[in-house]
Amino acid sequence: MIAFDDVYFSYGDHHILKGVNFQIQESERVAILGGSGGGKTTILKLIVGLLKPDSGRILIDNDDITIKSEDELMEVRKKFSIVFQDGALFDSLNVKENVAFCLREYTKMSEQEIDEEVDELLRIVGVEHAKYYMPDELSGGMHRRVAIARSLAVTKPRMFLYDEATTGLDPVNAENICNLINELSKNGTGHIIVTHRVIDALRVADRFIFLKDGGIALDGDSSVLIRSNISDIVVFINELKYNLS
Amino acid sequence: MSEKIKRLLSELQDYYLLSIQGLLGIFRKPFYSKDAIDQMDYAGAGSFVIVMIVSLFIGMALSLQLSAELGVLGLKMYTGKVVGISIIREVGPVTAALVYCGRVGAGMASELGSMVIGHQVDSLRVFGVDPIKKLVTPRLLSSIIMLPALTIIGNAIALLGGYYIAVFVSHQSGYVYWSSIRDILNFENVFSGSIKPFMFGFLIASISCYMGLTTKGGAKGLRKSTTNAVVFSIIMIIISDFMLTKILLYLLGFSL
Repeated sequence: MIAFDDVYFSYGDHHILKGVNFQIQESERVAILGGSGGGKTTILKLIVGLLKPDSGRILIDNDDITIKSEDELMEVRKKFSIVFQDGALFDSLNVKENVAFCLREYTKMSEQEIDEEVDELLRIVGVEHAKYYMPDELSGGMHRRVAIARSLAVTKPRMFLYDEATTGLDPVNAENICNLINELSKNGTGHIIVTHRVIDALRVADRFIFLKDGGIALDGDSSVLIRSNISDIVVFINELKYNLS
Repeated sequence: MSEKIKRLLSELQDYYLLSIQGLLGIFRKPFYSKDAIDQMDYAGAGSFVIVMIVSLFIGMALSLQLSAELGVLGLKMYTGKVVGISIIREVGPVTAALVYCGRVGAGMASELGSMVIGHQVDSLRVFGVDPIKKLVTPRLLSSIIMLPALTIIGNAIALLGGYYIAVFVSHQSGYVYWSSIRDILNFENVFSGSIKPFMFGFLIASISCYMGLTTKGGAKGLRKSTTNAVVFSIIMIIISDFMLTKILLYLLGFSL
């Protein structure tokens, strides 16, 4: 479904991606790991066309999205549901209005139907009690849950994209979010999670892509990740071992 | 050097496109009328008291200065006329625009800037919502409507302030003051004073939205975009005021 073909990307003089190649099928559960500023979030934004690469092709269903206009990209984006870092809830709207945003935008549902749909989505993510809270009244974990509920309201996505979904959360909340991510993928819908927390990546993914120096240093399953002797990955794994011990 | 010029031209092109798309959004579906009304409430009703206070004191200060100066020449009875023309044609629209720019323009730039930093604008794009239609058009529309309204009310308050000084401090006839004001409220003066706020409202909203939506970096980037929004808006208000004055004087047949 997703294919990166020799993708280069830079912010000014800072080269983020240098000839990245990979393919991801829509039912896969993938974690993209790497250090801060390594291009993890950039990859998610490239997938949904929020950024354009300097060179290379990005194929979604064999269709090169790098040459598409903003209007054409709208169709591509409907295939994905993305949860940004920190949730990116609209801070002028309460939880209900945030979740109902796309329902109001794209459907002709009545107010009662919207209300019922919002209740259902909030129940799925376990924050039904916070329906009328404003975003600044939510904890970090609740923020992410509401963001996930909002992303579920978009359409029926073929793949979920999560940007640092567990970063900054306490271990209990992080595990709850991971469980929720797994729950949403039970019906075979794949996901890509960008994270630097190896423990969370192992909870939700079967395939691991590790970014280093603008390229892919590792691409494999959990056994490949854990046995890797690449210095940066060893540091990540050591942190995991330390946490476990 | 050539890189800088290229970047400047590219930014000017982006600003031009954003302004035009934002303006055209007023006539194209979907209409975000609730957002526009919210913006009008924030920009118009929210700025009302500040514009009133500033206009009142500007009117009083102007009347005070002119009474003193015209008194020396024995022309005190012209205070109302000169105060009226100054306020309606020039001081009123510019004062209201500067106050509006400081309050609303800065607010627009910082609000949109924080939405960019917090990925809220990216969220809109992912949800298939055009950020220019959703965010820029309501702000442009509200500014184009509310700034002229604020200017008219501000002018009235400034004239009242001028009246207070002329009558109770400078001991002039209130009847003479108001009849002078009535005399200068002709088409030429009212038209030249009314056309400016529309242009100022458009400039403030478009510049502030552009600065907000092009915010880069964190708090420092937000500070820069907010400052730039206010600074560039003020510069453009003053420049466009001069140019509009020149054009209007020519169109309305005033000889220099």
